[in-house]
Amino acid sequence: MTNAPQRYERFVLPEGTKKVSYERDTKIINAASFVIEREDHTVGNVVRMQLHRDANVLFAGYKLPHPLQYKIIVRIHTTSQSSPMQAYNQAINDLDKELNHLKSAFEAQVEMMKQPGDY
Amino acid sequence: MPKVSALNMPDVPMGLPSHMELQRTRVSCDKDAPTHTENVQASGAYASVGVDNSLRLDQFRKNFRVTVVRLTEDDMEFDMIGIDPSIANAFRRILISEVPTMAIEKVFIANSTTLVQDEVLAHRLGLIPIKADPRLFEWKDDNKVSNEKNTIVFKLHAKCQRGGPRLTVKSDQLKWLPNGSEFIDEPTTATDSTPATGSTPKTFTNFDHSQASLPEFANNPIVPKHPDIIISKLGPGQEIELEAHAVKGIGKTHAKWSPVSTAWYRMLPEVVLLQDIKDELAEELVKKCPAKVFDIEDLGKGKMKATVARPRSCTLCRECIREENWEERVSLRRVKDHFIFTIESAGQLPPQELFTEAVKILEKKCKGLLDELS
Repeated sequence: MTNAPQRYERFVLPEGTKKVSYERDTKIINAASFVIEREDHTVGNVVRMQLHRDANVLFAGYKLPHPLQYKIIVRIHTTSQSSPMQAYNQAINDLDKELNHLKSAFEAQVEMMKQPGDY
Repeated sequence: MPKVSALNMPDVPMGLPSHMELQRTRVSCDKDAPTHTENVQASGAYASVGVDNSLRLDQFRKNFRVTVVRLTEDDMEFDMIGIDPSIANAFRRILISEVPTMAIEKVFIANSTTLVQDEVLAHRLGLIPIKADPRLFEWKDDNKVSNEKNTIVFKLHAKCQRGGPRLTVKSDQLKWLPNGSEFIDEPTTATDSTPATGSTPKTFTNFDHSQASLPEFANNPIVPKHPDIIISKLGPGQEIELEAHAVKGIGKTHAKWSPVSTAWYRMLPEVVLLQDIKDELAEELVKKCPAKVFDIEDLGKGKMKATVARPRSCTLCRECIREENWEERVSLRRVKDHFIFTIESAGQLPPQELFTEAVKILEKKCKGLLDELS
């Protein structure tokens, strides 16, 4: 057990590292990959799904390079109307709004369930 | 005569043809394997038939619905309609491994003469759910001092009298110490010893004031959620004396911090009768189904017809389509964007609060993905 990695290394960002880094593809225009530190399928799959719904996104995918490297790589390729950075920002902003709506809808339903006489 | 696009003429069918719509929205569970299991997400997937498959926020708002089916103290079932499986799965993953709770992490054993080894005893204590709201506590990392904001201390002292019967130690014997540790932290060597001049001796925690004086805990003492969890059994003459320190953590570190027993989702089953099933066949169908999905409708004059009464209880065992010719009569499907979500809380927080916490965590993750880029 002495050389086992610390358990918190899976989710605590080491000092001096950036949560997200952006790397442009040198060969293809409007293509880039985002390296997201200390995240996994929970976020990767959701972001990928959201990017697929954007008409300007030609390719979107994510990978977890290795189970003991606690990072994911999201690759985005867009049309010339957009840019990977723009698509990424928009996808996450949309997702955030969707989640907000989802939360309020859920809370409203729970309230209704708690007071059955009210509806 | 004004020019009109062919797509705007009234008799040109719009939208996806019905068979494609069925493939898009339903998984069909055939005899040998489920088909059309994929989710079509690409925005341009149906561009050639003139259908836009991109999803916008207002559309999502219009289509999304939640209905709570069951809500009790420690479990709930609700339907989420109009979301993608990746979102449902993110919630499941977060509920299991990322919603924080309080659990026993450090155990100071002063004396244990039971058959249960110290490390096994400490592990068992860790798994006991503690009824304390984790949102009232701070995170504690290893080099931080234990104080009233990040640690809950419990004491356990049980002794089995000689000549008496064996004693079962249960979780209700864990006594909360709102003033912190009572064990004295002795200096390891004599030279280190600082003379305790009148002050209280140094213990393993450093509480400024009692947790019991906080309004949240004044009338609501911290106890294990279940009083009847067996910790150990003592034989005559055996004794346990220990102190257990609970801290905030998440299920990713260790499953003892997971706030749910399980959290899972399934897609809504849909059972469709492709043709009228009458008389003996109807009776046969009702008898076939172990989940009692079908009912018989009496049409009078001794005529009967099968109906789908409880599609929700269908387990997709496919018993009803196993025999020959039945696949033409009954079709089993699943609705791709309708999720029946079940949360079984382990007891630290009520299930509805667990779910709102999970949504908040996912929102926080989304924000974290943007903050450093801009």
